[in-house]
Amino acid sequence: MNEGTKYEEALAQLETIVRKMENNEYTIDELTAQLKTAQQLIKLCRDKLTKTEAELLEEQTKGQ
Amino acid sequence: MSDNRYTLRQLNMMVRDAIEMQMPDEYWVEAELSECRERSGHCYMELIEKDEQTNTPVARASAKCWRQTWMVMQPHFERVTGQPLHAGLKVLLRVYAQYHEAYGFSWIVTDIDPTYTIGDMARKRQEIIRQLKEEGVFDLQRELHIPLFAQRIAVISAAGAAGYGDFCRQLEDNEYGFKFEVTLFPAIMQGEQVEKSIIDALNKIYTNSQKLTANSPMLYDAVVIIRGGGATADLSGFDTLALAENVAQFPIPIITGIGHDRDESILDMVSNTRVKTPTAAAALLIDNLRQVLERLNNAQQRISMAGHIIIDARHRIEMLQQRLSTAIERIMTNQKHRLSQIELLLQGYDPQLLLRRGYSITLHHGRAVRDPQQLKAGDEIETQVEKGTIKSIVR
Repeated sequence: MNEGTKYEEALAQLETIVRKMENNEYTIDELTAQLKTAQQLIKLCRDKLTKTEAELLEEQTKGQ
Repeated sequence: MSDNRYTLRQLNMMVRDAIEMQMPDEYWVEAELSECRERSGHCYMELIEKDEQTNTPVARASAKCWRQTWMVMQPHFERVTGQPLHAGLKVLLRVYAQYHEAYGFSWIVTDIDPTYTIGDMARKRQEIIRQLKEEGVFDLQRELHIPLFAQRIAVISAAGAAGYGDFCRQLEDNEYGFKFEVTLFPAIMQGEQVEKSIIDALNKIYTNSQKLTANSPMLYDAVVIIRGGGATADLSGFDTLALAENVAQFPIPIITGIGHDRDESILDMVSNTRVKTPTAAAALLIDNLRQVLERLNNAQQRISMAGHIIIDARHRIEMLQQRLSTAIERIMTNQKHRLSQIELLLQGYDPQLLLRRGYSITLHHGRAVRDPQQLKAGDEIETQVEKGTIKSIVR
């Protein structure tokens, strides 16, 4: 996962992890690593949203 | 020699007689008007025929139309062709010859066929159109676009014209409160001076535009040529090659509203946009801004819709995180529970627990004795009880 990961891709990956968690598809050994990945994905998505929101706001202000 | 002398009058009378004898009929003649003046109700014309190649006159004659005929002929001609008789027109006239000893030779006009003139004008128009296309300028104006925020308008119109007043009023009273900046460039909008007058006005507009700085390359967003309110429908001045060339190549989009029901004028054909009346020209400009406003509002709405998308997306992430925590918690609880169960199960198997409850285990060579048959007399066995071990010999 890097800066270039697209929002939709990140979201899809996150959803997969959550679904597998809910279906008990991970072994205990895998859990920590998967949880860590999931938290990184969440952060990435949130950052992207915040950034987009700020940009939109700026464009909106420009237009007025 | 001197016996055969005549006075000028005598000689002219002879010419008159000769002409009246030899040419008693009326004739239809095609000619171009090089002059046409009305005086005391009569019309005095100069007819000319030019060589088609060199354009030099090859025949010339005066013609007169007496008041009685002129009173009928002039309105008829104007009604059919949409313009008064004027210099430059090709005409088909019915004439008879008249030679007056004092005033010289004249053709006396008794009738005119306006359809000939219409045909000739149409042919000329076609010729101008062909030439404009050949020069590659015919479509140039239509390649320009009226800018989104077209508010600075240069108007070419007769200064006091009703059409100009209508145009300004319409712009000022627009229901959206748009502000327009109108600059008038007065021009003569009918008669023979139309061509020069409009070209001069265009040049002035162009020169004004050039004075501007680089970040505002044009002082005007659009040029409007309007005309209206006049009684006459004389559009002949708008159908000239020079005017069409100037309009076609003008760098700012030109809107024409020179109102007429007849065929499109060439000016209309080469302009960016044509409308029928000055009022319609104003309406077009207002509508242009209205569309821009609509697009802006639309964009604004879409941006705030994008805001909703962000909110939804955030919500989705929250939900996912919630599910993640729940899943993790459940997994951990399950695992812990499973471990406790195993632990409990294992505890049940702890032999110490049995000993504590008063049971004992008998071992022989370290293995639990489950059947007396395993032992024989003399074997040493160990019995484990809660507090220790008892050693015994089997009898």
